[in-house]
Amino acid sequence: MEEILEITLRSIIVSLSAILLSATWSIPITLFLSRQKTRIANIIMSFFNSLVGIPTVIVGLFLYMILSSSGPLGFLRILYTPHAIIIGQSLLITPWIVSLSYEVFVKARNTYWELALALGADYFSANMVMLRETLPDLLVILLIAFSRAVGELGVALLVGGNIRGYTRVLTTTIALAVSRGEFEFALALGAMLVFVLFMIALTIRLIKAYKE
Amino acid sequence: MIAKKYAIPLIVVILATAIVCVFIFLPKRETIRVSTTTSLYATGLLDVLADWFKAKHPEVDIHFIAVGSGAALELAAKGDVDMVFVHAPSLEYEYIQQRVLVEGVIIAYNNFTITGPMEDPAEIQGLDPITAFKRIYSACEEGKTIFVSRGDNSGTHTRELLLWKLAGLNPQGKKWYIETGTGMTETLLTTNEMRAYTLSDMGTYLKLKREGRLPNIESLVSSGRELINIYSVYLVNHTMFPHTKYNLAKEFAQFVSSEEGQELIGQFGVDVFGEPLFYPALDRRDELRQIWEWFAEISLEGSTTIRHMNYTMNMKILQIYAEKTLVL
Repeated sequence: MEEILEITLRSIIVSLSAILLSATWSIPITLFLSRQKTRIANIIMSFFNSLVGIPTVIVGLFLYMILSSSGPLGFLRILYTPHAIIIGQSLLITPWIVSLSYEVFVKARNTYWELALALGADYFSANMVMLRETLPDLLVILLIAFSRAVGELGVALLVGGNIRGYTRVLTTTIALAVSRGEFEFALALGAMLVFVLFMIALTIRLIKAYKE
Repeated sequence: MIAKKYAIPLIVVILATAIVCVFIFLPKRETIRVSTTTSLYATGLLDVLADWFKAKHPEVDIHFIAVGSGAALELAAKGDVDMVFVHAPSLEYEYIQQRVLVEGVIIAYNNFTITGPMEDPAEIQGLDPITAFKRIYSACEEGKTIFVSRGDNSGTHTRELLLWKLAGLNPQGKKWYIETGTGMTETLLTTNEMRAYTLSDMGTYLKLKREGRLPNIESLVSSGRELINIYSVYLVNHTMFPHTKYNLAKEFAQFVSSEEGQELIGQFGVDVFGEPLFYPALDRRDELRQIWEWFAEISLEGSTTIRHMNYTMNMKILQIYAEKTLVL
């Protein structure tokens, strides 16, 4: 039981770090793209849209090839560490955050952003106003990204290695339980995963309701 | 102004999270990375061995990465692990030739088992493995039954292919030859559902059978030289991959093959299953090495990668392997 709690906690910390890390580049990218009306911006957005459904195993394998000792970033020696999972998951959810927040930003541009500019704000401040006004929507988007990150298996298995007490997260524990034939235990862990997601979803909904 | 009010706390939060998670997850001790075949890991044996080793060396952590034998060896070839536990002599042999694996030692053995439906439509019960495979083939051709294969380049899958080869048959592409591409547990459950035949390692079969998950199938053939399942441990070549932790890995390998480690292996699972899941290799090392060499040898015939080498050359490498085994 203690081990399950530890694994659940690790899952949450890893995926939370991943969405924060991903947000640091995904949101600026989307802010930039949502201002462009060029064909290239459209092509880039289509590219992100198409990556939304990419199999997690492919992302994991890609990252494994890069982080392996024989790969280009092998000297970092972060393969089979939680850091590798964090990086993998943050890459995995980038297309989700970009695709989902794009629409939100495009809408907000016509209202808050232009209003802020009209009131004499510079571009940076106008962006910040927009971010603040769309924060409830962004939180929901980050939650969806979190669900994707915490529920993915491919990355955690390939670059994490499912090492007991170090990189074992909920999904890899479930996979291990299935391979051991412990189906009831796997289902219990699945319920745990859903419970974690439910609690976070509930919290975000409550915050949103409170703000409005 | 609003911008500054929000930007600074935001940056602080992100940086703090980044720093916290870097530190939370930094390994506190020296670690050895071990890639291992799933059958050894899933039974829990390796955790028992690691716990005993850690009791003596509290400064060391052992990280197991459990994958199929094929993948475990590939991780070693890329220098991503320090040592490997595997049970696929013919695959091991290829990596020994590439000089990726050094100082191999046989640590344990048990049997593979040919499992099939209770009714045994191919009538293989009590036969030798090769005849059994021939009978299964003809029964399948007659449409009486089907055969389920792992199809995942694992140790068990490698052995199954070897058995087909020894029987002089090729089931690839037949309608009755089903490749699941999954682990042993899933494959056994599939076999049970389909009332088919499959090759399994004894440990996984016993565990599932005792849990009552395999009501339709049972172990039909489990004796014979061809079914001996040999587990070996290897260190990754330190000169090829200087970052590997050769000395620590060697200590762990020595512990596993020491009398104490061997006793742990022999006793593992006795309290739950009433019989050991693995037999220690210590007393029978010479005999097992001969069998290992025999497996490596028969896998050479017709192999494209090694075809250009002549037989005596191969035998020389096998002798080098034999000498290496004695080092530990």
